[in-house]
Amino acid sequence: MRMKKFMGVFLALSMALSLGACGGSQGATKGESTTAKEGGAKATEIKLWTYPIGSWNEPEKVEEVIANFNAKYPDIHVSVEYLDYTSGDDQVTAAIEAGTTPDIIMEGPERLVSNWGAAGKMADLSDLWDEDTIKDIQDVSSKVVEACKSPEGVYYEYPLSMNAHCMAINYEVFEKAGALKYLDQNTRTWTTDNFVKALETLKKNGVETTGIVYCGGQGGDQGTRALAMNLYSAQFTNEDHTKWTMNSEEGIKGLELLVDLTKKGDLSYDAGIQAADELQLFANGTAAMTFCWNASNESNYAQQVNFTPYAMAFPSDDGKPELAGGIYGFGVFDNGNAEKIEASKQFIKFVCDDKEQGPKSVTATGFFPVRHSFGNVYAGTEEAERMATFNSFMQYLGDYYNVAPGWADQRTAWWNMLQQIFGGTDVKEAVNTYVDTCNAATEAAQK
Amino acid sequence: MAKVQTKNTKRIFNHDETISAYLFLLPALLFFVGFVIIPMILCLVTSFFDYTMTEFKFVGLKNYSEMFFKDKVFLKSLFNTFLIVVVSVPAVTIFSLWVSSAIYNLKGWICSFFRCIFYLPVVTGTVAVTVVWKWMFNQYTGLFNYVLKAGGVIDKNVSWLGNEKIAIWCIILILFTTSIGQPIVLYVSALGNVDASLIEASEVDGATKLQVFWKIKWPQIMPTTLYILVITTINSFQCYALVQLLTSGGPNNSTSTVMYYIYYEAFKLYRYGYGNAMGVILAIIIAVFSAIQFKVAGQSRD
Repeated sequence: MRMKKFMGVFLALSMALSLGACGGSQGATKGESTTAKEGGAKATEIKLWTYPIGSWNEPEKVEEVIANFNAKYPDIHVSVEYLDYTSGDDQVTAAIEAGTTPDIIMEGPERLVSNWGAAGKMADLSDLWDEDTIKDIQDVSSKVVEACKSPEGVYYEYPLSMNAHCMAINYEVFEKAGALKYLDQNTRTWTTDNFVKALETLKKNGVETTGIVYCGGQGGDQGTRALAMNLYSAQFTNEDHTKWTMNSEEGIKGLELLVDLTKKGDLSYDAGIQAADELQLFANGTAAMTFCWNASNESNYAQQVNFTPYAMAFPSDDGKPELAGGIYGFGVFDNGNAEKIEASKQFIKFVCDDKEQGPKSVTATGFFPVRHSFGNVYAGTEEAERMATFNSFMQYLGDYYNVAPGWADQRTAWWNMLQQIFGGTDVKEAVNTYVDTCNAATEAAQK
Repeated sequence: MAKVQTKNTKRIFNHDETISAYLFLLPALLFFVGFVIIPMILCLVTSFFDYTMTEFKFVGLKNYSEMFFKDKVFLKSLFNTFLIVVVSVPAVTIFSLWVSSAIYNLKGWICSFFRCIFYLPVVTGTVAVTVVWKWMFNQYTGLFNYVLKAGGVIDKNVSWLGNEKIAIWCIILILFTTSIGQPIVLYVSALGNVDASLIEASEVDGATKLQVFWKIKWPQIMPTTLYILVITTINSFQCYALVQLLTSGGPNNSTSTVMYYIYYEAFKLYRYGYGNAMGVILAIIIAVFSAIQFKVAGQSRD
């Protein structure tokens, strides 16, 4: 009996101790790291989280970048975690609240500057932006420089690459239906009238699903925004990004046209799908066009399509589209550790600016360099011709309104508004509600 | 003297055993306190704050008044949640009982086969199940539209998840298929444990099959029914993953549930305090429902 009692106490204690040991494992790891450092290794551990931007979600490619970095900076160890666009933002939000954010994160100014930067979670990267860098980037686009800093002038992002989001059509389907005449194949642009005529022609020739205005969530919402905005050359925000303006006459007219087209059956809408689903339907030939295209998507779907995906600018009333841009780069979370922040900056500087690594880092994103000095990073490669097409869209880059304060609220309000107007709510009423929601969020974010 | 000594020894022995018992409980208790009790308290406390990524300001009952008097989406989500509970709980319970009654006295392997079939959606991950359903519901390439069109039931493809009136029923259907596995297994086991001599006696006395079920079997499986009612109710109130993966609460908030809306407010709009306030209300509603079920089912068992 005594043995039984002893065993009981022993087991309970061992369970309690093992639990304590589990809870303390993080502390133990930290301790080891410090000891190693005191022992002379002098290694600084930093964590990088990347969103799936081109090949930046492929471990082999990213490990190669890190290996190149370590060849020059052996004392900085970089560990990587790969995020996706479905749950990545939630992971970052949870990490911010738990105090477990990574040191470096790779994405665009809408997250790094107007979201986490505005919330005071990011470190100031102004010291990376010397005069030469600013000039080099301005020579490509001054919008990139403006997008990477807060309204107060603090830089929260160090950019690597950029692109212009566009749409694409199934060339063979258009050809068969006789709708190619509505495109300007030299400039890859079309007018709103021609877009409407092309849809009618496709429909008359038996194309069941011409295009789908997806609004099942915020994934790929840049496509539906650009479509609605361009039809009658509306603007999403005012110049200083403090007011939302899609309730303008042009904005409402564009949205009303989309509703009319869906009522006629020339265009579809689907509140049950997001951009990824729409892309899949385009890739398998179900839909004759996609509103969510860019160089990287074309590369990703190259193996799946058995037709020619023909990239086009969004239709506009004057034939001069304004495309939504994407800027991709790095930000550093302010975790209160100056040593790690410094190491992170070294990593970023190497990845973005190093003469050998910089162009490689850009091509890994599948987009174009923000630095003029890099020149054509695809010249002489198999990708040269394909990328030249997408490069031709860069001249149509419109305002980078993604940095407007309250951006996160706007994103969720947009697809909800689309669901309302396609569900029968008066367009004017729904857009006014959407704009009011966005303006309220912007005001709240500016306080 | 010897008697007193024995009493003392017993008391010491009992005392030591109590300590052992508490030590055994300690790991589970630590987990429970750390991962359930403390978060619950934090959730309650922060529900009185304007708690965002940048703010932490006491606002009293403002979050609560906002959700009931200003937030139409919350009220819609609450309605949807109740609709899911009201439809799925009776449906799951009745269907499980019916299937179990039909299979519990079949040959061993046949009964096991059916139990496996109905339990499969439970052991398969929610994400995998949802993806398959999403394929079937697809407006353009989905199985449902294909079959219904081929059968001449519909002439135009239906956007199952994109239609305000249909989407919530699609969610309820999937929830139903993923919820029946456990109740069926439990009911098969409970029906198998019903006292056979009582059934035989009642049959000898001329009881009909319905009378045997209501008078003999039903009272004996009541504890199982109570358990099934409570867990199904809680699961239905907490319906989140299906909504998140299939519709994101749309179209036009027609499938938004309270659990999904908590996620939406906390993770999309960073309103943690407001989300927590909704969490508190949901917890209270679930507690009240469970208490009512215990009371009602407990009374009928007596």
